[in-house]
Amino acid sequence: MQLQYLINSFFEINTVLLGITPQLHDWLLIAEKFIWCGFAAAGFAVLFNVPVRTLALIALLGGVGGLTKFTLIHFGFSDVMAPFCGSAVIGLLSIFLAHYKHTPPPVFYIPALIPMVPGVFAYRMMLGMIKLVGNPQAPDYAQVMNATVNNGLKVLFIIMSLAVGVVIPMLVTRSSSVKDLKASSLFSRRDE
Amino acid sequence: MRNANHFNLEENSNHPEAKDLCTLLLRTGTLLMTSGANTERIRKTIQRISDSFDYKAELVINHRSVLLSLENSNGEIYTSLKRTGHHGANFRILSGISRMSWMIVDEKWTIAETHAEIDRLEALPHFPRMVVLLLVSLAGASFCRLAGGEIPDMLFAFTATFVGLFVRQETVKRSFNTYLCVFVASFAASLVAGLGYKLGIADPGNHGFVTSVLFLIPGIPLINSFSDLIDGNIQTGIIRGINGLIISFAIALGLLASMFVYQM
Repeated sequence: MQLQYLINSFFEINTVLLGITPQLHDWLLIAEKFIWCGFAAAGFAVLFNVPVRTLALIALLGGVGGLTKFTLIHFGFSDVMAPFCGSAVIGLLSIFLAHYKHTPPPVFYIPALIPMVPGVFAYRMMLGMIKLVGNPQAPDYAQVMNATVNNGLKVLFIIMSLAVGVVIPMLVTRSSSVKDLKASSLFSRRDE
Repeated sequence: MRNANHFNLEENSNHPEAKDLCTLLLRTGTLLMTSGANTERIRKTIQRISDSFDYKAELVINHRSVLLSLENSNGEIYTSLKRTGHHGANFRILSGISRMSWMIVDEKWTIAETHAEIDRLEALPHFPRMVVLLLVSLAGASFCRLAGGEIPDMLFAFTATFVGLFVRQETVKRSFNTYLCVFVASFAASLVAGLGYKLGIADPGNHGFVTSVLFLIPGIPLINSFSDLIDGNIQTGIIRGINGLIISFAIALGLLASMFVYQM
Protein backbone atom coordinates (compact mmCIF):
# COMPACT_ATOMS: atom_id res chain seq x y z
CA MET A 1 0.00 0.00 0.00
CA GLN A 2 1.55 3.28 -1.08
CA LEU A 3 1.18 6.41 0.98
CA GLN A 4 0.80 8.62 -2.08
CA TYR A 5 -1.96 6.35 -3.36
CA LEU A 6 -3.74 6.51 0.01
CA ILE A 7 -3.49 10.28 0.08
CA ASN A 8 -4.65 10.58 -3.53
CA SER A 9 -7.64 8.32 -3.02
CA PHE A 10 -8.48 10.18 0.18
CA PHE A 11 -8.55 13.43 -1.73
CA GLU A 12 -10.52 11.90 -4.61
CA ILE A 13 -13.25 10.99 -2.14
CA ASN A 14 -13.06 14.43 -0.59
CA THR A 15 -13.20 16.11 -3.98
CA VAL A 16 -16.67 14.66 -4.37
CA LEU A 17 -17.84 14.97 -0.77
CA LEU A 18 -16.20 18.16 0.45
CA GLY A 19 -15.39 19.96 -2.75
CA ILE A 20 -11.58 19.87 -2.36
CA THR A 21 -10.12 21.32 -5.54
CA PRO A 22 -6.75 20.35 -7.06
CA GLN A 23 -5.33 23.68 -5.83
CA LEU A 24 -6.39 22.85 -2.28
CA HIS A 25 -4.84 19.41 -2.76
CA ASP A 26 -1.46 21.04 -3.56
CA TRP A 27 -1.74 23.19 -0.46
CA LEU A 28 -2.50 20.19 1.71
CA LEU A 29 0.61 18.42 0.38
CA ILE A 30 2.67 21.49 1.32
CA ALA A 31 1.03 21.52 4.75
CA GLU A 32 2.02 17.87 5.19
CA LYS A 33 5.65 18.87 4.71
CA PHE A 34 5.29 21.22 7.68
CA ILE A 35 4.90 18.16 9.91
CA TRP A 36 7.90 16.29 8.48
CA CYS A 37 10.19 19.34 8.67
CA GLY A 38 9.11 19.75 12.29
CA PHE A 39 9.95 16.14 13.13
CA ALA A 40 13.35 16.43 11.41
CA ALA A 41 14.17 19.62 13.36
CA ALA A 42 13.09 17.99 16.64
CA GLY A 43 15.32 14.97 15.95
CA PHE A 44 18.37 17.17 15.49
CA ALA A 45 17.42 19.28 18.51
CA VAL A 46 17.56 16.14 20.65
CA LEU A 47 20.87 15.16 19.05
CA PHE A 48 22.29 18.57 19.99
CA ASN A 49 20.92 18.22 23.56
CA VAL A 50 18.87 21.45 23.61
CA PRO A 51 17.13 22.59 26.83
CA VAL A 52 13.81 20.75 27.19
CA ARG A 53 11.80 23.99 27.35
CA THR A 54 12.86 24.88 23.78
CA LEU A 55 12.20 21.52 22.09
CA ALA A 56 8.58 22.10 21.01
CA LEU A 57 9.38 25.60 19.72
CA ILE A 58 12.32 24.29 17.66
CA ALA A 59 10.02 21.73 16.01
CA LEU A 60 7.54 24.51 15.25
CA LEU A 61 10.31 26.77 13.90
CA GLY A 62 11.64 24.01 11.62
CA GLY A 63 8.10 23.45 10.36
CA VAL A 64 7.57 27.15 9.64
CA GLY A 65 10.89 27.36 7.78
CA GLY A 66 10.03 24.32 5.67
CA LEU A 67 6.53 25.69 5.03
CA THR A 68 8.02 28.99 3.79
CA LYS A 69 10.45 27.18 1.50
CA PHE A 70 7.90 24.83 -0.09
CA THR A 71 5.29 27.59 -0.46
CA LEU A 72 7.81 29.77 -2.31
CA ILE A 73 8.87 26.84 -4.52
CA HIS A 74 5.15 26.42 -5.31
CA PHE A 75 5.13 30.05 -6.48
CA GLY A 76 8.12 29.43 -8.75
CA PHE A 77 11.07 30.55 -6.61
CA SER A 78 14.36 28.84 -7.49
CA ASP A 79 16.01 26.04 -5.50
CA VAL A 80 18.41 28.60 -4.00
CA MET A 81 16.08 31.57 -3.35
CA ALA A 82 13.41 29.54 -1.55
CA PRO A 83 15.74 28.10 1.15
CA PHE A 84 17.27 31.57 1.51
CA CYS A 85 13.88 33.10 2.35
CA GLY A 86 13.01 30.14 4.58
CA SER A 87 16.21 30.54 6.59
CA ALA A 88 15.69 34.31 6.87
CA VAL A 89 12.26 33.62 8.41
CA ILE A 90 13.88 31.17 10.84
CA GLY A 91 16.57 33.72 11.75
CA LEU A 92 14.01 36.46 12.39
CA LEU A 93 11.73 34.27 14.51
CA SER A 94 14.67 32.91 16.50
CA ILE A 95 15.38 36.45 17.77
CA PHE A 96 11.89 36.70 19.27
CA LEU A 97 12.06 33.16 20.64
CA ALA A 98 15.47 33.91 22.21
CA HIS A 99 13.81 36.72 24.20
CA TYR A 100 10.82 34.63 25.11
CA LYS A 101 12.80 31.60 26.38
CA HIS A 102 16.02 33.37 27.51
CA THR A 103 18.18 31.15 25.31
CA PRO A 104 20.65 32.29 22.62
CA PRO A 105 19.31 32.26 19.00
CA PRO A 106 21.70 29.54 17.66
CA VAL A 107 19.99 27.01 19.94
CA PHE A 108 16.82 27.67 17.90
CA TYR A 109 18.09 28.28 14.40
CA ILE A 110 20.75 25.57 13.95
CA PRO A 111 18.42 22.55 14.48
CA ALA A 112 15.60 24.30 12.58
CA LEU A 113 17.82 24.84 9.51
CA ILE A 114 18.87 21.18 9.18
CA PRO A 115 15.70 19.95 7.36
CA MET A 116 16.57 22.32 4.49
CA VAL A 117 20.07 20.89 3.93
CA PRO A 118 20.23 19.65 0.29
CA GLY A 119 21.05 15.99 0.99
CA VAL A 120 19.65 14.59 -2.26
CA PHE A 121 21.56 17.09 -4.44
CA ALA A 122 24.77 16.21 -2.57
CA TYR A 123 24.12 12.50 -3.17
CA ARG A 124 23.55 13.05 -6.91
CA MET A 125 26.73 15.11 -7.09
CA MET A 126 28.66 12.30 -5.43
CA LEU A 127 27.28 9.66 -7.82
CA GLY A 128 28.15 11.91 -10.77
CA MET A 129 31.71 12.39 -9.51
CA ILE A 130 32.19 8.63 -9.29
CA LYS A 131 31.09 8.30 -12.92
CA LEU A 132 33.44 11.12 -13.91
CA VAL A 133 36.37 9.25 -12.33
CA GLY A 134 35.56 6.34 -14.73
CA ASN A 135 36.05 6.09 -18.49
CA PRO A 136 36.26 9.59 -20.12
CA GLN A 137 35.40 8.13 -23.56
CA ALA A 138 31.93 7.07 -22.39
CA PRO A 139 29.21 8.48 -24.70
CA ASP A 140 27.34 10.27 -21.91
CA TYR A 141 30.44 11.80 -20.27
CA ALA A 142 29.60 15.42 -21.14
CA GLN A 143 26.02 14.97 -19.97
CA VAL A 144 27.15 13.52 -16.62
CA MET A 145 29.63 16.40 -16.27
CA ASN A 146 26.88 18.98 -16.78
CA ALA A 147 24.58 17.32 -14.27
CA THR A 148 27.36 16.95 -11.68
CA VAL A 149 28.48 20.57 -11.92
CA ASN A 150 24.86 21.68 -11.69
CA ASN A 151 24.15 19.56 -8.60
CA GLY A 152 27.43 20.54 -6.94
CA LEU A 153 26.83 24.25 -7.43
CA LYS A 154 23.28 23.87 -6.09
CA VAL A 155 24.64 22.21 -2.93
CA LEU A 156 27.21 24.95 -2.44
CA PHE A 157 24.81 27.82 -3.03
CA ILE A 158 21.96 26.35 -0.98
CA ILE A 159 24.24 25.82 2.04
CA MET A 160 25.65 29.33 1.63
CA SER A 161 22.18 30.85 1.33
CA LEU A 162 21.03 28.99 4.45
CA ALA A 163 23.96 30.29 6.49
CA VAL A 164 23.68 33.86 5.17
CA GLY A 165 19.88 33.99 5.32
CA VAL A 166 19.77 33.05 8.98
CA VAL A 167 22.20 35.75 10.14
CA ILE A 168 20.73 38.55 7.99
CA PRO A 169 18.09 39.52 10.60
CA MET A 170 20.86 39.81 13.20
CA LEU A 171 23.12 41.82 10.86
CA VAL A 172 20.28 44.20 10.00
CA THR A 173 19.49 44.88 13.66
CA ARG A 174 23.20 45.67 14.27
CA SER A 175 23.16 44.79 17.93
CA SER A 176 25.97 43.05 19.75
CA SER A 177 23.59 40.82 21.70
CA VAL A 178 19.94 39.89 21.15
CA LYS A 179 19.38 40.70 24.82
CA ASP A 180 19.64 44.38 23.86
CA LEU A 181 16.95 44.03 21.20
CA LYS A 182 13.39 45.10 21.80
CA ALA A 183 10.75 44.02 19.32
CA SER A 184 9.67 47.65 18.82
CA SER A 185 13.20 48.88 18.05
CA LEU A 186 14.11 45.92 15.85
CA PHE A 187 15.04 48.03 12.87
CA SER A 188 16.35 51.10 14.61
CA ARG A 189 20.09 51.44 14.97
CA ARG A 190 21.88 50.97 18.29
CA ASP A 191 25.35 52.31 18.83
CA GLU A 192 27.39 50.14 21.16
CA MET B 1 36.12 52.99 43.22
CA ARG B 2 38.90 50.74 42.03
CA ASN B 3 41.60 49.96 44.56
CA ALA B 4 45.07 50.89 43.27
CA ASN B 5 46.76 47.65 44.32
CA HIS B 6 43.86 45.21 44.23
CA PHE B 7 46.24 42.75 42.57
CA ASN B 8 47.63 41.97 45.99
CA LEU B 9 44.37 41.84 47.91
CA GLU B 10 42.84 38.53 48.93
CA GLU B 11 39.91 37.55 46.73
CA ASN B 12 36.70 39.40 47.45
CA SER B 13 33.59 39.65 45.31
CA ASN B 14 34.62 42.20 42.69
CA HIS B 15 38.43 42.20 42.67
CA PRO B 16 39.65 38.64 42.22
CA GLU B 17 43.23 37.72 41.38
CA ALA B 18 44.01 37.75 37.67
CA LYS B 19 45.10 34.10 37.79
CA ASP B 20 41.78 32.91 39.23
CA LEU B 21 39.75 34.97 36.79
CA CYS B 22 41.89 33.71 33.89
CA THR B 23 41.28 30.07 34.89
CA LEU B 24 37.56 30.71 35.03
CA LEU B 25 37.42 32.54 31.68
CA LEU B 26 39.50 29.89 29.90
CA ARG B 27 37.26 27.18 31.31
CA THR B 28 34.20 29.08 30.03
CA GLY B 29 35.76 29.72 26.62
CA THR B 30 36.92 26.16 25.93
CA LEU B 31 33.58 24.80 27.12
CA LEU B 32 31.72 27.12 24.72
CA MET B 33 34.03 26.10 21.85
CA THR B 34 33.44 22.37 22.39
CA SER B 35 29.66 22.83 22.85
CA GLY B 36 29.17 24.39 19.43
CA ALA B 37 29.28 28.19 19.87
CA ASN B 38 30.65 30.40 17.11
CA THR B 39 33.77 32.50 17.65
CA GLU B 40 32.01 35.85 18.07
CA ARG B 41 29.82 34.42 20.85
CA ILE B 42 32.86 33.11 22.74
CA ARG B 43 34.63 36.47 22.46
CA LYS B 44 31.58 38.44 23.62
CA THR B 45 30.84 36.15 26.54
CA ILE B 46 34.41 36.26 27.84
CA GLN B 47 34.63 40.03 27.44
CA ARG B 48 31.29 40.52 29.16
CA ILE B 49 32.47 38.54 32.18
CA SER B 50 35.94 40.15 32.35
CA ASP B 51 34.43 43.65 32.06
CA SER B 52 32.21 42.98 35.03
CA PHE B 53 35.32 42.10 37.08
CA ASP B 54 37.10 45.30 35.87
CA TYR B 55 39.70 43.53 33.74
CA LYS B 56 40.46 44.08 30.08
CA ALA B 57 40.59 40.82 28.09
CA GLU B 58 42.35 40.12 24.77
CA LEU B 59 41.72 36.78 23.12
CA VAL B 60 43.05 34.39 20.48
CA ILE B 61 40.42 31.74 19.75
CA ASN B 62 41.37 28.60 17.84
CA HIS B 63 39.54 25.38 17.16
CA ARG B 64 41.69 23.42 19.62
CA SER B 65 42.87 26.10 22.07
CA VAL B 66 42.03 29.48 23.63
CA LEU B 67 44.71 32.04 24.52
CA LEU B 68 43.68 34.79 26.95
CA SER B 69 45.49 37.89 28.19
CA LEU B 70 44.06 39.87 31.12
CA GLU B 71 45.11 43.42 31.94
CA ASN B 72 44.25 45.24 35.18
CA SER B 73 43.97 48.97 35.81
CA ASN B 74 47.72 49.25 36.61
CA GLY B 75 48.65 47.84 33.22
CA GLU B 76 49.84 44.51 34.68
CA ILE B 77 49.21 41.60 32.31
CA TYR B 78 48.50 37.95 33.01
CA THR B 79 48.40 35.51 30.07
CA SER B 80 47.38 31.87 29.94
CA LEU B 81 46.46 29.19 27.40
CA LYS B 82 44.11 26.20 27.51
CA ARG B 83 43.46 23.37 25.08
CA THR B 84 39.86 22.48 24.27
CA GLY B 85 38.44 19.03 24.99
CA HIS B 86 36.51 16.72 22.72
CA HIS B 87 34.11 18.60 20.40
CA GLY B 88 30.49 17.50 20.81
CA ALA B 89 27.36 19.61 20.43
CA ASN B 90 25.67 20.47 23.71
CA PHE B 91 23.25 23.39 23.51
CA ARG B 92 22.25 23.08 27.17
CA ILE B 93 25.72 24.31 28.11
CA LEU B 94 25.54 27.04 25.46
CA SER B 95 22.24 28.29 26.85
CA GLY B 96 23.35 27.95 30.49
CA ILE B 97 26.59 29.88 29.99
CA SER B 98 24.75 32.68 28.19
CA ARG B 99 22.43 33.07 31.19
CA MET B 100 25.35 32.74 33.59
CA SER B 101 27.27 35.59 31.94
CA TRP B 102 24.32 37.94 32.42
CA MET B 103 23.91 36.81 36.02
CA ILE B 104 27.58 37.70 36.65
CA VAL B 105 26.96 41.19 35.24
CA ASP B 106 23.61 41.81 36.95
CA GLU B 107 24.07 40.08 40.30
CA LYS B 108 27.87 40.36 40.74
CA TRP B 109 28.59 36.66 41.21
CA THR B 110 31.97 35.69 42.70
CA ILE B 111 34.48 33.37 40.99
CA ALA B 112 33.58 30.48 43.30
CA GLU B 113 29.86 30.88 42.56
CA THR B 114 30.57 30.90 38.83
CA HIS B 115 32.71 27.74 39.04
CA ALA B 116 29.87 26.06 40.94
CA GLU B 117 27.42 27.10 38.20
CA ILE B 118 29.69 25.66 35.46
CA ASP B 119 29.99 22.43 37.48
CA ARG B 120 26.20 22.28 37.60
CA LEU B 121 25.90 22.92 33.83
CA GLU B 122 28.44 20.19 33.03
CA ALA B 123 26.51 17.72 35.18
CA LEU B 124 23.15 18.48 33.49
CA PRO B 125 21.55 15.28 32.17
CA HIS B 126 21.36 14.47 28.46
CA PHE B 127 18.16 13.20 26.89
CA PRO B 128 17.63 9.46 27.64
CA ARG B 129 19.41 7.32 25.05
CA MET B 130 16.21 5.67 23.80
CA VAL B 131 14.51 9.05 23.29
CA VAL B 132 17.50 10.26 21.24
CA LEU B 133 17.56 7.08 19.12
CA LEU B 134 13.81 7.14 18.43
CA LEU B 135 13.49 10.88 17.71
CA VAL B 136 16.54 10.96 15.42
CA SER B 137 15.23 7.89 13.59
CA LEU B 138 11.91 9.69 13.19
CA ALA B 139 13.88 12.59 11.75
CA GLY B 140 15.50 10.16 9.26
CA ALA B 141 12.07 8.91 8.20
CA SER B 142 10.92 12.54 7.83
CA PHE B 143 13.88 13.34 5.56
CA CYS B 144 12.92 10.31 3.46
CA ARG B 145 9.31 11.55 3.18
CA LEU B 146 10.50 15.05 2.25
CA ALA B 147 12.66 13.54 -0.52
CA GLY B 148 9.59 11.76 -1.90
CA GLY B 149 9.63 8.41 -0.05
CA GLU B 150 6.63 6.16 0.68
CA ILE B 151 5.85 4.14 3.82
CA PRO B 152 8.25 1.19 3.09
CA ASP B 153 11.10 3.62 2.29
CA MET B 154 10.38 5.55 5.47
CA LEU B 155 10.44 2.36 7.54
CA PHE B 156 13.83 1.44 6.14
CA ALA B 157 15.16 4.97 6.67
CA PHE B 158 13.90 4.78 10.27
CA THR B 159 15.61 1.43 10.95
CA ALA B 160 18.80 2.46 9.16
CA THR B 161 19.09 5.71 11.14
CA PHE B 162 18.44 3.82 14.38
CA VAL B 163 21.22 1.30 13.64
CA GLY B 164 23.60 3.97 12.34
CA LEU B 165 23.14 6.26 15.35
CA PHE B 166 23.56 3.30 17.73
CA VAL B 167 26.84 2.37 16.02
CA ARG B 168 27.97 5.98 16.19
CA GLN B 169 27.21 6.29 19.91
CA GLU B 170 29.09 3.07 20.63
CA THR B 171 32.16 4.07 18.59
CA VAL B 172 32.21 7.57 20.12
CA LYS B 173 32.00 6.00 23.59
CA ARG B 174 35.12 3.92 22.78
CA SER B 175 36.79 7.20 21.62
CA PHE B 176 37.77 6.21 18.10
CA ASN B 177 38.86 8.89 15.63
CA THR B 178 35.95 11.30 14.92
CA TYR B 179 35.97 10.74 11.17
CA LEU B 180 36.25 6.97 11.57
CA CYS B 181 33.14 7.06 13.79
CA VAL B 182 31.26 8.93 11.06
CA PHE B 183 32.47 6.53 8.37
CA VAL B 184 31.44 3.42 10.33
CA ALA B 185 28.04 4.90 11.21
CA SER B 186 27.40 5.91 7.59
CA PHE B 187 28.42 2.42 6.41
CA ALA B 188 26.14 0.69 8.94
CA ALA B 189 23.15 2.93 8.17
CA SER B 190 23.44 2.57 4.40
CA LEU B 191 23.92 -1.22 4.69
CA VAL B 192 20.55 -1.46 6.46
CA ALA B 193 18.89 0.93 3.99
CA GLY B 194 20.35 -0.97 1.02
CA LEU B 195 18.81 -4.17 2.36
CA GLY B 196 15.42 -2.72 1.44
CA TYR B 197 16.40 -2.61 -2.23
CA LYS B 198 17.94 -6.08 -2.17
CA LEU B 199 14.73 -7.51 -0.72
CA GLY B 200 12.71 -5.52 -3.27
CA ILE B 201 10.60 -3.76 -0.61
CA ALA B 202 11.83 -0.15 -0.96
CA ASP B 203 12.01 1.81 -4.22
CA PRO B 204 15.56 2.94 -5.20
CA GLY B 205 14.09 6.06 -6.86
CA ASN B 206 12.77 7.29 -3.53
CA HIS B 207 16.09 8.20 -1.91
CA GLY B 208 15.72 6.03 1.21
CA PHE B 209 19.37 5.12 0.76
CA VAL B 210 20.78 8.64 1.00
CA THR B 211 18.32 9.98 3.58
CA SER B 212 19.38 7.18 5.96
CA VAL B 213 22.77 8.87 6.50
CA LEU B 214 21.49 12.46 6.80
CA PHE B 215 21.60 12.31 10.61
CA LEU B 216 25.39 12.55 10.28
CA ILE B 217 25.49 15.85 8.34
CA PRO B 218 27.90 18.31 10.00
CA GLY B 219 25.28 21.03 10.56
CA ILE B 220 27.03 22.87 13.40
CA PRO B 221 30.53 23.00 11.77
CA LEU B 222 29.12 24.21 8.44
CA ILE B 223 26.72 26.85 9.81
CA ASN B 224 29.28 28.10 12.34
CA SER B 225 31.89 28.17 9.57
CA PHE B 226 29.82 30.58 7.49
CA SER B 227 28.81 32.72 10.45
CA ASP B 228 32.48 33.02 11.47
CA LEU B 229 33.42 34.01 7.92
CA ILE B 230 30.68 36.68 7.88
CA ASP B 231 31.87 38.04 11.25
CA GLY B 232 35.42 38.34 9.90
CA ASN B 233 36.91 35.45 11.89
CA ILE B 234 38.26 34.00 8.66
CA GLN B 235 40.76 31.63 10.26
CA THR B 236 38.35 29.74 12.52
CA GLY B 237 35.77 29.88 9.72
CA ILE B 238 38.08 28.07 7.32
CA ILE B 239 39.08 25.51 9.95
CA ARG B 240 35.45 24.73 10.77
CA GLY B 241 34.60 24.50 7.07
CA ILE B 242 37.41 22.01 6.40
CA ASN B 243 36.29 19.98 9.40
CA GLY B 244 32.75 19.90 7.97
CA LEU B 245 34.07 18.89 4.54
CA ILE B 246 36.05 15.96 5.97
CA ILE B 247 32.96 14.76 7.85
CA SER B 248 30.93 14.98 4.60
CA PHE B 249 33.67 13.04 2.84
CA ALA B 250 33.55 10.33 5.54
CA ILE B 251 29.77 10.06 5.05
CA ALA B 252 30.22 9.71 1.27
CA LEU B 253 32.91 7.07 1.79
CA GLY B 254 30.55 5.02 3.99
CA LEU B 255 27.81 5.25 1.33
CA LEU B 256 30.28 4.19 -1.37
CA ALA B 257 31.46 1.22 0.69
CA SER B 258 27.96 -0.17 1.05
CA MET B 259 27.19 0.54 -2.62
CA PHE B 260 30.26 -1.59 -3.37
CA VAL B 261 28.97 -4.36 -1.06
CA TYR B 262 25.57 -4.41 -2.79
CA GLN B 263 27.09 -3.90 -6.29
CA MET B 264 24.64 -1.04 -6.93
